[in-house]
Amino acid sequence: MILTPNILARLVAIVIGGVVLQLTFFSRVALFHVSPDLLPALIVVLGLLGGSLTGAVCGFWAGFLLDCLLIVPLGGGSLVLLATGYLAGAFRERFEIHSALVPPLLCMGLTLFAELGFGAVELMLGMDAPVSGLVVRDILLKSIFAFFGGWAIYAGVRRALRPALVEESTVRRNRRPSPLGT
Amino acid sequence: MYRKQVRRRRAVLALLIVGSFVLLSLTYRQGSDGMQRGVSTIFSPVTSVADRALKPARDLVNWFDETFDAKGENEDLHTELETARRQAVGKKAALAENEQLRKLLGLENGGAIPGGYTPVTGRVITRSPTVWFSDVTIDVGSGDGVEVDDPVVNGDGLVGKVAAVTGGTARVTLIVDSSSAVTAKLVPSGVQGLMKPSVGDPEDLILDFLNSEKLIGKGQSVVTSGWRAIGYESDYPPNLPIGEVDEASLQEQEAQQQVHIRPYADLRNLDLVDVLTGGSRG
Repeated sequence: MILTPNILARLVAIVIGGVVLQLTFFSRVALFHVSPDLLPALIVVLGLLGGSLTGAVCGFWAGFLLDCLLIVPLGGGSLVLLATGYLAGAFRERFEIHSALVPPLLCMGLTLFAELGFGAVELMLGMDAPVSGLVVRDILLKSIFAFFGGWAIYAGVRRALRPALVEESTVRRNRRPSPLGT
Repeated sequence: MYRKQVRRRRAVLALLIVGSFVLLSLTYRQGSDGMQRGVSTIFSPVTSVADRALKPARDLVNWFDETFDAKGENEDLHTELETARRQAVGKKAALAENEQLRKLLGLENGGAIPGGYTPVTGRVITRSPTVWFSDVTIDVGSGDGVEVDDPVVNGDGLVGKVAAVTGGTARVTLIVDSSSAVTAKLVPSGVQGLMKPSVGDPEDLILDFLNSEKLIGKGQSVVTSGWRAIGYESDYPPNLPIGEVDEASLQEQEAQQQVHIRPYADLRNLDLVDVLTGGSRG
């Protein structure tokens, strides 16, 4: 990804918009008694499009903003989402995305990872309460929602960051007709 | 050049990881109220506007969810049920208290019924996305007289308590949060216990440490008892309705001294809540 001030501003807007939308909309609706958590999917998409460093940095700041707005202990959200973004970016740097199914599948897998991560951080910090089996259902459904949300998020974010994507500019350059009309 | 890039990338990554751990340890050692208060104050108008703007969309999605579950309830009937439930719980609590007072023969109540609480109505503007934290943020804060530990209720019953406040917002830890513990009693039997959540299931609370010979039956109401247990400080005034006994197997009562409670308040779909400010503390 080619980072210009314009692209940086778009990234900041995407992260802030994503966190605000998650907290004010997705967290407060229920489908099959579970609220979708699409923030990890957004970070996965940013990691896939921007690489591991972009993914990690966006994940860190998204987690920081999330913790600040929820007024919960800082650091936990940052740690989990930075790992999520880094893993998505690392995948992109090692493998080619040949199928359109890869981004949503990664969104699903890494949302599962993020939800387990949130749980691990919570357990690490001490949780004096029994854990219901419904946690498993909640996490699995959140991952499935992330699969479907991942399609839309990937398409939307890719469109927003198109000028910065190396592949996109290459494709567009190649499509330009030659002066000889061949 | 490539090596330099890799080295720089690793350095940034290490910095972020260290940063996260520093934030975690700083928060737990000395808190981070200032920073969070600042960020929360900046974003509070944004979240408030987004909350109001997205309400129709949220309602639409939630309507689908409720329709799927055949939970579409008539509003009038719902209101009627709420009123009847409140009256029933209130009467049961009053009867139990009356009975106790008769037994005590003139002994003073000792301030069991709290006075001087002023309700401040707030709207839920954000909610934690993960099942591990059950927190909501409301749009009233210290500027409206809200203080940490103030009890929070809605039309159905107890919701939680204020865990942190900024000028215009407050974080409410719900009774289903893993950190929550409420001293509660059953009415009319008067059996007391400590109510804790079952993390991940917002419709299941566990009333634990029941030290009673009385058998508890399904459908009994649970209200706050207002007393303090060692290590579990209750900041709730007595007789606030919490829920009713949903499951009370003989085996669980005898072996584990616990029963399952279903809260009255729909903690998934909170909108307007009342913060009980003022009142007696201590």
